[in-house]
Order: sequence, then structure tokens, then C-alpha cells
Amino acid sequence: MAEFSTSIKEKGDVSVINLKGFLDAHTAPTLENNFTQLIENNKYKIVVNFEDLAYISSAGLGVFMAYIESVRENKGDIKLTNMSDKVYNIFDLLGFPLLYEIYKKEEEAIKKFIES
Amino acid sequence: MAKTSKNIVNVQLQLFFLSAFLIFIFRLLLGTSDTLLSKILFDSLIACSIFFLLLALIKFENTRSSSPLSLVMNVGILSAIMFFIIKFSDFLLPYLFDNINLKLQNPGLGYNIVSLFYILLFIGFISYYLLTLRHLFYLNQGKNVKIYFNTMLVFFVLSSLSNNFFQDKSVSFLGNTFFIVAVLLMIFNSIRISWMAFLSKREKIYLLILSLVISVLFIVNISSSSGDNIHSQIIDGFSPSLSQFNTIVMVYGSIYFFVLFFTTLFHLPTAEAYDRKAQEVTSLQYFSKLITEVLDFNDLAETVTDIALKLSGSGAAWIIWKEDGKLISLANKNIGYVESDKLSLQITERIEFEKLNVTKTLHLKEKINEVDQGNRFSIISVSPIKTRGVVQGILVAAKVDGQIFTKDDLSAIETFSDYASVAIENSRLLEESIEKERLEKELDVAREIQRKILPLKIPDYPGLQIASVFIPAFEVGGDYYDFFEISKTKLGFVIADVSGKGISAAFIMAEVKGIFESLSKTIERPKEILLKANDILRSALDNKTFVSAAYGYIDTTEKKLYFARAGHCPLFLLRDNDFKQIKPSGLGLGLSDNNYFDQTLEEYSISLKKNDTIVLYTDGVTEAKNEHLEDFGDKQFSEILRAGFDLTAEELSNKIIQEITVFSSNHAQYDDITLVIFKLQ
Repeated sequence: MAEFSTSIKEKGDVSVINLKGFLDAHTAPTLENNFTQLIENNKYKIVVNFEDLAYISSAGLGVFMAYIESVRENKGDIKLTNMSDKVYNIFDLLGFPLLYEIYKKEEEAIKKFIES
Repeated sequence: MAKTSKNIVNVQLQLFFLSAFLIFIFRLLLGTSDTLLSKILFDSLIACSIFFLLLALIKFENTRSSSPLSLVMNVGILSAIMFFIIKFSDFLLPYLFDNINLKLQNPGLGYNIVSLFYILLFIGFISYYLLTLRHLFYLNQGKNVKIYFNTMLVFFVLSSLSNNFFQDKSVSFLGNTFFIVAVLLMIFNSIRISWMAFLSKREKIYLLILSLVISVLFIVNISSSSGDNIHSQIIDGFSPSLSQFNTIVMVYGSIYFFVLFFTTLFHLPTAEAYDRKAQEVTSLQYFSKLITEVLDFNDLAETVTDIALKLSGSGAAWIIWKEDGKLISLANKNIGYVESDKLSLQITERIEFEKLNVTKTLHLKEKINEVDQGNRFSIISVSPIKTRGVVQGILVAAKVDGQIFTKDDLSAIETFSDYASVAIENSRLLEESIEKERLEKELDVAREIQRKILPLKIPDYPGLQIASVFIPAFEVGGDYYDFFEISKTKLGFVIADVSGKGISAAFIMAEVKGIFESLSKTIERPKEILLKANDILRSALDNKTFVSAAYGYIDTTEKKLYFARAGHCPLFLLRDNDFKQIKPSGLGLGLSDNNYFDQTLEEYSISLKKNDTIVLYTDGVTEAKNEHLEDFGDKQFSEILRAGFDLTAEELSNKIIQEITVFSSNHAQYDDITLVIFKLQ
């Protein structure tokens, strides 16, 4: 199956996770580990950049659901950015735009964090 | 079987006692008759008694298997006893019988009894020696051992008899010749001792001492039988042949054990190396057996360090293993985890874990004291354990101050780390295949659940064509659809997709079916049903699982469609050469609490006309992939729908499936494909 990888960079006190490849039931644990690690290190301001993500399955969507509550309880948020139309459609279908802040550009999301 | 062999022993023992009794009678009646005939008869009787005793002893010997070392030990004990008896007979017998010489001339009943027992005792000794020597000789396993030994025995007998019958000076050379031939045969038969090569070093040292003592005892016993002491007088007086036979056997014994002593002595310097090789062979045998048997990685690791420790003569051994990116100590032998961790740190500071290719030795900069055993380690060897060319672990062996790793030690350790690599790879592959099998079984179960959950038949509604297609993916995708016959004119329907795959998705499907089935019986409005379903699933599902669903019903008299969508793919309405995507707002089930879910969920209703076609589907349709991993896509799907407005429900579904099949013919189906189509007539 196709590959999936992530990379995390720190921009101020905001952590940006870059997704690359195919996010499905098999590759989801990689992203889960990223979230767990960030939460363990008390980093609750998280931006996920979808620029290089080719595909996301329903199990991939579940990852975001799993962590949003504990992040928000700690006055943080998970903001999603740079989605391709295809990926956005999948999020949109499920009503994710009602639950998450989704931005066109990574910078907008970071700015939003700094402002708040 | 056991009984018969015991009987045979008894028969031979009885024959032995019978011949002993005959000897006694003979002595009583004929006394010291010196005729040739009586000599022949008497010697024959003695020969018979020895022969039968030997046979009895051989049978007894065959019933148990004793190690050569314990046989040698027995001979040692017996020869020591013999030594004491000979010495004591010198002291004791003169008290019993005033003058032996007189008694020999004119033996009374008392003397006859005592001397008979004395003789029988020595016959016993001789027989046992002979038997043990035969046993040891047969251990050589050469060709014709039996012939060599029996030829020697023949000369023993010939030499013995000639001592009695050819006493005359003119023929004494015959006796001497027989004796010399017998001695030559003894030497010939004694020089090819090989059985002691397989003993361990300790056993060899033990055997060395024992064989020296025995050969000395034999020589002493010979010299005390050939002098003028009471012992030799009694035996000689009884039968010169027996006396000679006794001497010959004793000579054979002393030669054999003397040769054994030297052979063992020459084997001693190589004993340690031999021990090591022998251990290596047994360890490798044990280990190769283990490779095929051991499934548990930890058991395997324990064995690897245990054997590596023994083979290299090291003081301690352990494995540095990489687990989740961390290096840990594993299967420690003779070293605590604190010390081994310290040493591991020293090792990984000096060599790069991933780049270790061959076995190396390292002198430690900081020597480590092991608390428990009081060892102070100063040199270690490290060997890589690799699977698929990647270093997974390092086998470490440590030696105490002052010791070194020889080339042999290192090659033994390296062999072992190679074995360990193979074994670990094997156990991993096995685990994988077990896991795969388990998964396949699980998927079978999941597919079975799914098959039972989906509707068996399509309901029959006048004025409504209904078609449905479901194509399962190999890994159950969690698609579900169902029809609910609310009334004769109202048909409810649901289509849903559980996030995730496999058996967990199948179980959630079953739960979803239960929820919709029961809700559809009491509630009519799609929004309310989805609200309730969300409420139930919100508490039932874990926080990363959700269900996308669409619920609605068609009223065939009112000609109306009521519909709500909880995160599911939109509904398509095909009407008069055009199509409409109906996508009311709504979150997936289980994603948020009912408050928010309620706010965002819209209900949609539309009046239907004749020939309206309603298409419901799951994302398996639009996300079907071709060999370039491109999606079938919304666009292609809508084009088929747009062109298919005048087809029947059945024709349209066939067309869609056909197009998808052609599109994704070179790519495995990854998700379930579900399609439900209604057409108003």
C-alpha cells in the first residue's frame, strides 16, 4: 500500500504537523503517535498541514476526532490547513467544517493562534 | 522375555554350582591323585566352572548398561579387595591349618572346604576381570573384535593347560611359546584403546589415576601369586592350570590398564579442546533443534546467551536489543541489568550500533565490577544479530580481568550470533504468518457478519423500482444499507458507512442495524431518527470511530421524499435529463454531542414526479481506484447518472457497476461498494 509520513516543526508555541501520502486505517497510528507526543509535551496549539496529503480515509478522519477533546480542554485547538479540494470534500461530507477551523494557508491558522 | 533371560541366568549359575560341587567331590574322593586322567578331568571341571560363571556374568552384564568408567572403577575396587585377601591369607590361613605343605599332601575335609571357597572366590575375580576387559575391548567397535579376543582367550587356555601338562623339561618350550603368544596378543589387543577419547577432561583425569592404581595393583597381585606365599601355594596346589590362568588374566589386566594409563595421559593435553568442540557440537545441535521449535523470542534470547557463555568460556553474556528506538539489555547471564546497561553504554559509545558487521573485541576503558559474582570484567566481544541485513541487536560476552578471547572463542560466538539471527528471523516470520492467519480468520468472520446484516431481499412496493448492489472489499469496509417497510405506502431506507475496517467495523455495523431497525418502527421523521442514533452511538463508540449515515423515506401515495444526511455521501435525484445533488447539512454520527449535532442537522423533503430516480451510494463508488491510484471520481459518476436518467433502476445500477469494474480492473478493491437506486413509475 502507499506510504504515509509526517513531520513536525515548531513555529513559536504552535506545532505544525505536515502530512504526506496516504492516511488510512493502516497508516493512522503514525499520526496518532504524533498527537500523543505533542499532548504529552503539553503542546496544545496544533496546526495540521494537508498540503502533501494525497488521500484520507474515514479511519484517518477518526484520528482528529480522537484528540480534539483533550486538546480543547487544555485551551488549545487543532486547526487544519492547505487541503486539496478532494480532501476538503471528504471533510466537508462528514461535517468537519462545522467542528474544526479549516484554513487555506498555514500562516492564517498560526496567526489565529497568536491572536487568541 | 525378562523371565526367560532370568531363567537362563539361573541355568548357567546352576551349572556353575554343579561344577563347583563336582570339583569338591572330586577333591574329596580322589584327593591328590596325580594321574593324567584325573588331571584332565579336574582341569575340565575348573574350566567348566569358569566358563559357566562367565556366561552367567555376560547375561547379567547385558541386562544393564554401565559406563566404561564405572566398569573400570569396579575392577579397581575388586583388585584392591583381591590385594587385601592375598595379604590376609598369609596371616590367617596358617592359624587355621598348622602346616600348609602337610595339608597339601594330605588334605582333610576342613581344608578342602576352605580351599574350595578360596578358589571359587578367585575364579569369581578372574571371571569378572575377564568380562570387564572384554567389555572394554568391545567398545573399540573395530572389525573382528570378537575374533581377536577369542583367539587371545584360546592362547590363555593353552598356556594355562601346558603349565599343568607339559611340566617336563623337553616340552616346556610349548608352554612358554603359548605364553609368549598370549602376551603378544594381549599387547596387540591393548594398544588400540579409543573409548576414552570421548570422556570429558575431568573424567580423563579420574581415569588416569584409576588406571595407574589398577595396573600397579595387578602387578602387585601377580607378584604375590607367583611367590612362595600361602596364596600361591593354595592355588598352585589346587590346580597349576588355574594358577597360570589367573596369572595370565592378571598380566592382561596390568598390560591393558598400563596402556590405558598412557593413552589417557597422551589424550589429556587435548582434552580441554576436545571438551569444547564436543560442547560446541551438542550446543549447535540443541540450538538448531531450538530454531525450529522455539516461538517465544525471550526463550530464544535466553538460550543464545546461555550457550554463547558456555562456548566462549566467558564470565558473563547478554544481548543489547533495540526496542522502540531504545537499547535494552536482554537475557543477562551472570551479570546484573545495572552493570550490563553501563557496559552497553560504553560499547555503543565506541561502536555504532547499526554499523557493526563482524565480531569484535573491545578492551574496556572503565572496568566494571559485577556485584553478585565479584567478577571484574575488562574485555568484551560484540557480535551483530541481524535480520534482513539490519542490525537488531548485539550479542555481548565479557571476560574477567586477565583473560582473553581466543580466535576459537570469537568464531564460536560469531557462529552463535549468526544462528541467533536466523532463529529470531524465523520466529518473527512465524509470528507474522500466525498473525496473518488470525487476520484472515477474523475477516472471514467479519464478512459473514456483514452478509447476515444486509437485507436478504428487496421489498416489493407498487410503483417503485428498487435496485441495490453491494460488493464487499477483502477487508470488510463497514458499509451497511437497509429497507424498512414503515407502511404499505411508506418505505424507509438507510445507507451507512462505519469508519475503520475489519471485524470491529462489522460489529459496529451490527449495532447500527439494530439502532435503525428499532428506531424506524417508532419514529418517522429522518432528522429525529438520526438524532436518536447519534445519541446512542456517541456513547457507544470510542472517540475516533464514527458512522456516516443517510436516512430517509419515500411516500408513494404522497409522492414525496423525506431525507436527512449525517455526514454521508449526498443523494442524487435524476429528473428529466438532469440531476440534482441533494446534500443537506449534517455531521457524521458519533462525532459530536446531540446539542451541536441537532443544530447542524437539516431535514430535506422534495415532491417526486414519475420517472424520478433516487441514487444513494457509499464512498467506495467514487473512490474506486485504477492502477494509477486515481479515483473513479464524482465527475465520472455524475456523467453516468446524467446519461442514465431514462434507464430502469436495475439498468442504471448495472451500468454504474460495469463502469467502475472497467475503471478499476487493474487495482484491488479497497473499500466496500454500495449502491441503492429507487425509481418512481
